[in-house]
Amino acid sequence: MKAITANRLTDGRVIYRTEQGHWTPHLAEAARYPADDAGTALALAEGEFGVAVGPYLIDLDDAGPAGQKWRRESIRLAGPTTGTTHVLAADAGAR
Amino acid sequence: MLNLQLDHQSRPDVDARIASGGGEILTVPASADWRELKDRVPQAVQIDVHFESFKDGRGFTLASQLRGRLGFDGRLRATGHVLPDQALHLKRVGFDEVSPDRTDVADDWSQAQTRFATVYQPAQRGGETVVAKRTRSKADLAALNARYRGMEAEEIFEDAIKRIWPGRIAMMSSFGAEAAVGLHMIAKVAPSTPVLFLDTGRLFAQTEQYQRELVEKLDLTNLRIIQPSALEVAEEDADGKLWSRNNDACCTLRKVRPLDRISEDYDAMITGRKRFHGGDRIELPVVERLDGRIRVNPLASWSHERIDAYFKRYDLPRHPLTEMGYASIGCWTCTAPAQDGDVRSGRWAGQSKSECGIHRPVPVAAE
Amino acid sequence: MYRYDEHDTALVRERIEEFRDQVARRMDGRLTEDEFKPLRLMNGVYLQLHAYMLRVAIPYGALRSEQMRTLAMIARKYDRGYGHFTTRQNIQYNWPALTDIPEILEKLADVEMHAIQTSGNCIRNVTADPFAGAASDELEDSRPWAEIIRQWSTFHPEFTFLPRKFKIAVNGASDDRAAIRFHDIGLQIVEDETGQRGFEVWVGGGQGRTPRIARKIRDFLEPRDLLSYLTAILRVYNQHGRRDNLYKARIKILVDSLGIDAFRDEVEEEWGFIREGELSLPEAEISRIRSFFSSPRIEGQTPLPQTGPAAFRSWLDVNRRDHQTYGLSSVVISLKPIGGTPGDATADQMDIIAELTERFGFDEVRVTPEQNLVLPHVRNEDLFAVWEALSAHGLATANAGLSTDIVACPGLDYCNLANARSIPIAQAISETLDAQGLSETAGDVTIKISGCINACGHHHIAHIGVLGVDKRGEEFYQITLGGAMGTDAAVGEIVGKGLAGDDVPGAIARILHHYKALREDGEDFIDTLRRLGSDAFKEAIYAELAA
Repeated sequence: MKAITANRLTDGRVIYRTEQGHWTPHLAEAARYPADDAGTALALAEGEFGVAVGPYLIDLDDAGPAGQKWRRESIRLAGPTTGTTHVLAADAGAR
Repeated sequence: MLNLQLDHQSRPDVDARIASGGGEILTVPASADWRELKDRVPQAVQIDVHFESFKDGRGFTLASQLRGRLGFDGRLRATGHVLPDQALHLKRVGFDEVSPDRTDVADDWSQAQTRFATVYQPAQRGGETVVAKRTRSKADLAALNARYRGMEAEEIFEDAIKRIWPGRIAMMSSFGAEAAVGLHMIAKVAPSTPVLFLDTGRLFAQTEQYQRELVEKLDLTNLRIIQPSALEVAEEDADGKLWSRNNDACCTLRKVRPLDRISEDYDAMITGRKRFHGGDRIELPVVERLDGRIRVNPLASWSHERIDAYFKRYDLPRHPLTEMGYASIGCWTCTAPAQDGDVRSGRWAGQSKSECGIHRPVPVAAE
Repeated sequence: MYRYDEHDTALVRERIEEFRDQVARRMDGRLTEDEFKPLRLMNGVYLQLHAYMLRVAIPYGALRSEQMRTLAMIARKYDRGYGHFTTRQNIQYNWPALTDIPEILEKLADVEMHAIQTSGNCIRNVTADPFAGAASDELEDSRPWAEIIRQWSTFHPEFTFLPRKFKIAVNGASDDRAAIRFHDIGLQIVEDETGQRGFEVWVGGGQGRTPRIARKIRDFLEPRDLLSYLTAILRVYNQHGRRDNLYKARIKILVDSLGIDAFRDEVEEEWGFIREGELSLPEAEISRIRSFFSSPRIEGQTPLPQTGPAAFRSWLDVNRRDHQTYGLSSVVISLKPIGGTPGDATADQMDIIAELTERFGFDEVRVTPEQNLVLPHVRNEDLFAVWEALSAHGLATANAGLSTDIVACPGLDYCNLANARSIPIAQAISETLDAQGLSETAGDVTIKISGCINACGHHHIAHIGVLGVDKRGEEFYQITLGGAMGTDAAVGEIVGKGLAGDDVPGAIARILHHYKALREDGEDFIDTLRRLGSDAFKEAIYAELAA
């Protein structure tokens, strides 16, 4: 199974393409394509202008990002696995 | 096809050579090695450097080398995939024109050209560097004036052109009544010095004729014609009568702004102004700074008689209008014969105006 | 510290307007992403995994307190409350919106800062010894030269679209803390036999996938010729550097393929033509720039404190450096708390550091290639107050130069190019070494981690390097041994096969235990390693794994 992902032009945030050809930050709302149809959908997304930068295909299984790039795509989906973002978020939560 | 000027000076000699087919038009890729073009460049009157991609920066060094190492003086064009964001860089390495693949962004190109007024490095053209601005101080001006005290005009021409501002200086000429003196000195010292001729679009036909005559006779090889922007003329002087309503605005449109547009290409400009012209010119120094730009006036101390003698000694042709009593010649709309021996009395006669604005009187002491 | 004049200010403002216009043109389609990308990169704007990243230039790593406060304000207002200091002495923000960046640039310009040429295939931010103007082993302050180069390289009309990025570093001390032998051009200030100062010029160094130690192109260059000589090198590179293969486009490959002698001939031929021209530096401009960089003068010369809490004493031992003026010291502010993210500072920490810089630091703080900060000038009598304030904010870890002073790139947690994560590995190594007492007992040793072969984490030049690789979706880490960045420059050698991330901290701890067992009196890790060779450590790395 495949989905189309990209970064949003205005702020760079990770987005996924929906059935309707819109973009969403939530993977759950993303359109899922059988491998054979994915290329056509990607070409369509690439031809559009304005919202997304650099759309490309990712592999998915029922649990989420899969295939060779599963870790990279999991980090894109969920954010950095560690680091100051987490520390500051934890501090803010504690206050 | 979109063809954009990067340099606001037309080169009639180059235009004429291209028009007459007198010289080769070379097309080379941005990847070309300048050394391999050595033999072909002397015959070329125009070189088109083609960019496959705007990211191929070789074309910038190539242009610089064509100008600097091979002395190419014809028209240099950048063609292909170049971006408006590169306008200033292209101009500074020596390109005159650009013909980009993409034709729908002409406005971006013209905007990009005026975006930066600050440059740090010396280049083929395009402005006095920050280092030069910093290091020339008021003291330098005094030092230069001291240096030129007691020097003959011709020596001043030679020193300014060859030693003080090599490659960064031009002669401004109106091709008016006294212009032949300075131009003759240029011809003797360095005939390839740029000679800037402000064609206001309101010149006497006799001036244009005289300009051609002098350039040919003196063999000046680098005449550059500066014209008002057609777009601005259409907007501000649609009926051609702006001069009668507001002659200051007309001078600004037809003289001051066109000259401003090219002024960053030179660190200094030579003028033919003289103290005996009177008015603000009575205290004219040999070297002065006007709006941050250097003006060199080698003939500042010359008298009317001395000019006459020079014309006779070298048998220089006279401006056709001098025989009709014109002593100072500008646009036909605002020039009359002189009165009572005051040479500039015929300029904007009957009004308090005495200068068009290209030699704005900014006192040196104010800096 | 250099201060902008009206020309410097004008240029930075002009650049902001240009960038604002470029963003607008990208939004309405007048610029494609392919066109916009190189243009935004040249202004420090990357597109990373989760967001844009803005890299702000800190020329030769030097900041005033008001600049540090602005960096803190930007972290709070436009980012997520922190910034990341880099090995090239810059700062990166990981979360800004593209549409906010023109406004961020305005705030930076207000304090004479910018993001110009912090990325892209152009001449990058110039780096220098972070202890310049303070170091006791200094011949001459490198900062004026770095500033002269910064100005000359800014919007160079010929060198803005080079085959690949181009990095220049200047060093004026006998120790090389600027890693000049790993730069495209490295400049070492030297003195000839008559006592005249000039530059030894090195060319073609670099890391990445083809690490090279620079080769010396010139023994002595007169200061006035600096810019004409740099121009000549850049001209040869711009015309002849490869553009057909991204990985072979750096100047090091050109120097490899021509050979240093033929490369030198090309440069000298070009230089002969331009040497006497306008690029020749006027003495007046050199002195003008120099006049900004005087070292502080002090009255009363207090010796070093001899008493105080043990933690303060050990911080002095480890993080303090001798100053060229008696009575002053330089101190390293460690951004490597045990288990922390190397190089990160929160906005609150930046504000504290700004405060200390202003009160005790003669208003100057520096960024180091080790991703730490330095207060170059602190009066000895103020050291205790500085330490107290730093330790209250987690900034007084006494580990500068020790094994837990780890350098790491952002890795796969942020970076689009990375193959593996760096930050969690750095954190785990730091915790393990600290827990085993190796931070205090293993002496000076450098550990550096890169998440891919581009080597932003400088693993090639670490005594112990860690390189993250991806094997069919799994992270593995290769260990290298024996790299060094200074006058003893060396590229580390890969030792054996890659390790799983979980195995890296233990392996490195074993290397250090092994060193402690083998070292002779007063011998640092790198000396023992050089004496015995890396094979002597190989067994330590893999011993327990096999079991």
